[in-house]
Amino acid sequence: MGTVVIGIGNPVLTDDGIGLHVVRWIAERLPDMPGIQIRELYSGGIRLMEAMAGFDRAVIVDAILTEGGRPGTVYSPAANDLFQTRNAHSTHDGSLATALELGRLAGLRLPGEIRIWAIEARDVTNFSERLTSDVERAIPVVVDDVMRFLSSGADIGART
Amino acid sequence: MKKRVSINPITRLEGHGKIEIFLNDDGSVANAYLQVPELRGFEQFCVGRPAEEMPVITNRICGVCPEAHHMASTKALDRLFGVDPPGAAKKLRELFYSAFYVTDHTTHFYALGGPDFIVGPDAPPAERNILGVVRKVGLDIGKEVIDCRARNHHIIRMLGGREIHPAAGVPGGWSKSLSESERIQIEAAARKNIEFALFSLQIFDKLVWNNGAFRELVTGGTFLHRTYYMGTVDGENRLNFYDGRIRVVDPDGREFLQYDAADYSSHIAERVEPWSYLKFPFLRKPGWKGFVDGAGSGVYCATPLARLNVSDRLATPLAQEHFEKFCEAFGTKAAGGRRAPVHHRMATHWARLIELLYAAERMLELATDPEITSPDVRTIPREVTGVGIGAVEAPRGTLIHHYVTDAKGILQKVNLIVGTTNNHAAISMSIRKAAEELIRRGQMVEETVLNRIEMAFRLYDPCLSCATHALPGTMPLIVNFCDPAGDVVRSFRRDG
Repeated sequence: MGTVVIGIGNPVLTDDGIGLHVVRWIAERLPDMPGIQIRELYSGGIRLMEAMAGFDRAVIVDAILTEGGRPGTVYSPAANDLFQTRNAHSTHDGSLATALELGRLAGLRLPGEIRIWAIEARDVTNFSERLTSDVERAIPVVVDDVMRFLSSGADIGART
Repeated sequence: MKKRVSINPITRLEGHGKIEIFLNDDGSVANAYLQVPELRGFEQFCVGRPAEEMPVITNRICGVCPEAHHMASTKALDRLFGVDPPGAAKKLRELFYSAFYVTDHTTHFYALGGPDFIVGPDAPPAERNILGVVRKVGLDIGKEVIDCRARNHHIIRMLGGREIHPAAGVPGGWSKSLSESERIQIEAAARKNIEFALFSLQIFDKLVWNNGAFRELVTGGTFLHRTYYMGTVDGENRLNFYDGRIRVVDPDGREFLQYDAADYSSHIAERVEPWSYLKFPFLRKPGWKGFVDGAGSGVYCATPLARLNVSDRLATPLAQEHFEKFCEAFGTKAAGGRRAPVHHRMATHWARLIELLYAAERMLELATDPEITSPDVRTIPREVTGVGIGAVEAPRGTLIHHYVTDAKGILQKVNLIVGTTNNHAAISMSIRKAAEELIRRGQMVEETVLNRIEMAFRLYDPCLSCATHALPGTMPLIVNFCDPAGDVVRSFRRDG
């Protein structure tokens, strides 16, 4: 049943909310696109798995902190490589991998393909609705990447 | 010279917290603390905004319990705008809040706290999760947990306007009334929730209480502190999550304080320690005596266990039955006209399930209340008092929002005491107890021992919300053993 694009993070914790900014941009560029749904989430784990249930493909956009990483760097790993972004893991219930396995055991229909885009954050400890500049500059890069991926799917067809 | 053991980061816990265990030269524990990183600027973020934005701003503090912040904030606005909501609005709020409690307590038991018992504290970490519970209890339980979350999320969305960040709470009421068809759905869900809660209590009874080793873990002395307890009660001193007066009982169970949330600062002070940004609230009257228990120390605890300890009884029939069974199981005797508290902190897991049952029964009561579908859900505010203090019982403890505004309702000052903060001192004490007990046995290097130290804080389900909680790659558990000079002499790591 199409593709779900999930932005995840805290909207008032500076760069933690980068995933939400990205999916809002995508939503503006995809008006009334059948087969693609945009969702915003604020915690991972089981909640993230539940948000994907019923879709064929899922895109997750989240902030990440890596050791020595340069803020604004965009990481886009291979399909189904569930690396640990900032919010994909819920420390109140568990990892995304565990949640997906739980969903399968419970009989939910889960996406065959999951892609995660992660953007290196600079500030995730100050309350603010604004991104830092390096991280903000990454938005068009991620949006283009994700749009290209969405265009490659049957559900978006010939529309660009 | 002191040695230092670091465990960083904590697995399965909100926030990039760290446990620090400081050892003396003889290997005994000098001190143990849970440390968390600082989040800055929340008050500045809020000051200058219209206060009515707060229910939808504060619910973004944390992705885990936005419903609790939304509700405390909405109640603070009732006071700020000097308005009393109609009866139906209060009931809708409590109904919404009960559905939230069902999901939150269910998730904690099956995904976080329960695995330690149901799968076992000595099981490999990779199995000590909700999948391990499913393997042990049966495939159906996974589906039951998912179904329980789904039906209650549906109700939260129906009542709150949005699934994750609710928006229905407004000063003086609730922005939407309940239709009869919606009410019927909620009634059906509440009945299923009651069955599920009873089933969960059976699992606890069978797999934990009737397992000798696990019962010993619950009833033994390792996780025992004789502190004060805090929780919200109604006019008959019965547990209530949504509204009432805050009651504090002493370590013998006698009522020590009972007050309106607006008076919290007369009874609670907040201590700052140089090594942690998180505040340590304590009771003013006994005062701060350090990280110690007993009637002379102002340390208190506000958790599911604390709420049962301050309640004379529970307001719903099945939850009351289980509450009585719980008290009998621990043999608590009456003192000063009240039952003595249960001080065994591992009993918090059992208390949480009793609260789950209470929340489910309360949902049914409210869903079948004739007033619940009344269209009268709003009293329009007509003044600004300048101060608004609202409180609810968040799943992790008493939550207080305190706002001060100018004459136009623009925020000048914001103070929050969040559930976990109440328990900060108690959590550090539990970690120390666990470390003392286990390190004394010379089992420092075993994963099981480390996990039991983690169990000491997991029972509080601390939420260090919004704190950084992810690292590249995996969520590892790193243990460094340091010599007296502070150099790492041995390091262990396991992937989360």
